[in-house]
Amino acid sequence: MTARARLGLAGVGVAALLPVLLPHPFVLTIATQAAIWALLAASWDLLSGYTGQISFGHAGFFALGAYGAAVSTKHADVSPWLGLLVGAGVAAAVGLLTGFPALRLRGHYLALVTLGLAEIIRLVAQNWLDLTGGPFGIHDFRSFPGLPAGALVHRQAMYVVVVAIVVVSVAIMYQVCERTTAGQAFRAIREDEVLAQTLGIDTTRYKLLAFSLSSAFAGLAGGLYAYYVQLVSPVIAGAATTSLVIGMVVFGGLGTLWGPVLGALLLYGVYEGLRFVGVVYNLVAVGFVIMVFVIFVPRGLAGLGRSA
Amino acid sequence: MLESLLEFLIQGVVLGGLYALFAVGLSLIFGVLDVINVAHGEFFAVGGYLAFAAVVLLHLPGAAGVLGAAVGTFLLGLCVYPLLIAPLKRRLGGRPQGPLYLVLTLGLSTFLQSSLLALAGGDYLRVPPQVSGILDLGVTAVSHQRLLVLGVAAGLLTALFAFLRFHPEGLAVRAVALNPDAAQAMGINLPRIFSLTLALGVALAGVGGALMAPLFNVYPAVGFPLTIKAFAITILGGMGNPVGALVASFLVSIAESLSVMVIPSQWQSLIAFAVMIVMLLVRPRGLLGRAVSR
Repeated sequence: MTARARLGLAGVGVAALLPVLLPHPFVLTIATQAAIWALLAASWDLLSGYTGQISFGHAGFFALGAYGAAVSTKHADVSPWLGLLVGAGVAAAVGLLTGFPALRLRGHYLALVTLGLAEIIRLVAQNWLDLTGGPFGIHDFRSFPGLPAGALVHRQAMYVVVVAIVVVSVAIMYQVCERTTAGQAFRAIREDEVLAQTLGIDTTRYKLLAFSLSSAFAGLAGGLYAYYVQLVSPVIAGAATTSLVIGMVVFGGLGTLWGPVLGALLLYGVYEGLRFVGVVYNLVAVGFVIMVFVIFVPRGLAGLGRSA
Repeated sequence: MLESLLEFLIQGVVLGGLYALFAVGLSLIFGVLDVINVAHGEFFAVGGYLAFAAVVLLHLPGAAGVLGAAVGTFLLGLCVYPLLIAPLKRRLGGRPQGPLYLVLTLGLSTFLQSSLLALAGGDYLRVPPQVSGILDLGVTAVSHQRLLVLGVAAGLLTALFAFLRFHPEGLAVRAVALNPDAAQAMGINLPRIFSLTLALGVALAGVGGALMAPLFNVYPAVGFPLTIKAFAITILGGMGNPVGALVASFLVSIAESLSVMVIPSQWQSLIAFAVMIVMLLVRPRGLLGRAVSR
């Protein structure tokens, strides 16, 4: 445990030094976006990896967070710092609302309903022109105030902001999952829900908690994405986003939180790196990684480290 | 008012043929293998590309394109069970881990879709219709191509249900759907039935893709929205119940067509999902679903 904690600290240290070690706009852009994906992957893992409630709708929660942040800043001139909370709040509210019907659903059904939910969110984003800007998305809204203006310095500052928020969020999720009774309840629900219930665990409460926590952090990732990329379009609510996130988690290792973070950083690096080979091949690789890892490397990269 | 009602009703029935071709296969696969095939729409897309290759690139007649799509997707479908599902099944042992199969077929979906993108590019490809001309029904006109889709769907689905009812292999498929262990004890070769069912199911989607190619155009992601809609249809009809899927296909398609009279058409796609969510809350096993969900 201490070894892993030390490793984690070392990782954070390297991440903190990156803008100084490699002050290149392209590297920083990829690293910042990879960190956002890492947060999204960790949020999926909390609900699906730890609690066993497979969501195919995280693209929807991510989009809700992104639109919530972008719309509140553009139309109500809400400060981006508050906008992040607005986005996360909207996503958490919808996540909680999804949690209620989902209490009655398991496995396949839950996955299909969340997939349908994401599709509904995508359709609303595409068609509610006044609010969301329609198919072309929403842009021209301000980002975090008070950051330096120079091109490179701005990216460095942005990177620090995003990475700090991601690290704190993942740490909170890790604490909840590994150090609290809630985390134990999540795992009990995953392993055997009926048994968990008989043992006196309030499965309803903990499932709803997992849903709202997970969707809140997915929404937070969406808000970071909105203020970083400065363009939010319905595409991000598409199934390709969910697919990429699930690929990252499966690659890194289900139910470990740090595995998905690692998986996201590596897979996003590969994904972007493959753009040099040819834009179209990157998702081929993601699909391939999902299939191979689900079948042959069920515990992902995290599991490889453990058995070695 | 009555005329437009009739017009939308006819359009809905024609669309229902396509939905049925797609959703019945999906539901059959779920009933027998207990696997939800997220990649179903990609076989639809592959069928469309095979039709394009046969008709536009090789200058073969339209029927050869449809046949090529059927055979091609059938063969591709035969590989899915031994290469992907069986290995995962072996690793998991007897534990019911349905969602992992979902993740697996999601991976297959991404893989196939982006492979198509890599091979054929993202352009919308036009495929000439297999039949031309328009049937004038007075209140509305339906193109022969759409009637062909409906006719082929009716023919294939009749053949499929006859196969399941009378043919020994079809009986074996139903036996496996009811109770895989008992079926195996009676000497039924499970892997064979699993592969066959999957191949049959996706071949139906492939034929649908070839027939719809002239109407939809062909591009890598053409099938995915259909997959999501088919999930809603199969839940409405009862998961794993092909007859329920057939009925639900027409209910959804007709509801969608008629909705145009009440709500703007860009919201049309929401209907299937709204129906799905209401259904899951009110009667999760669907219209004709089994009483006990597995």
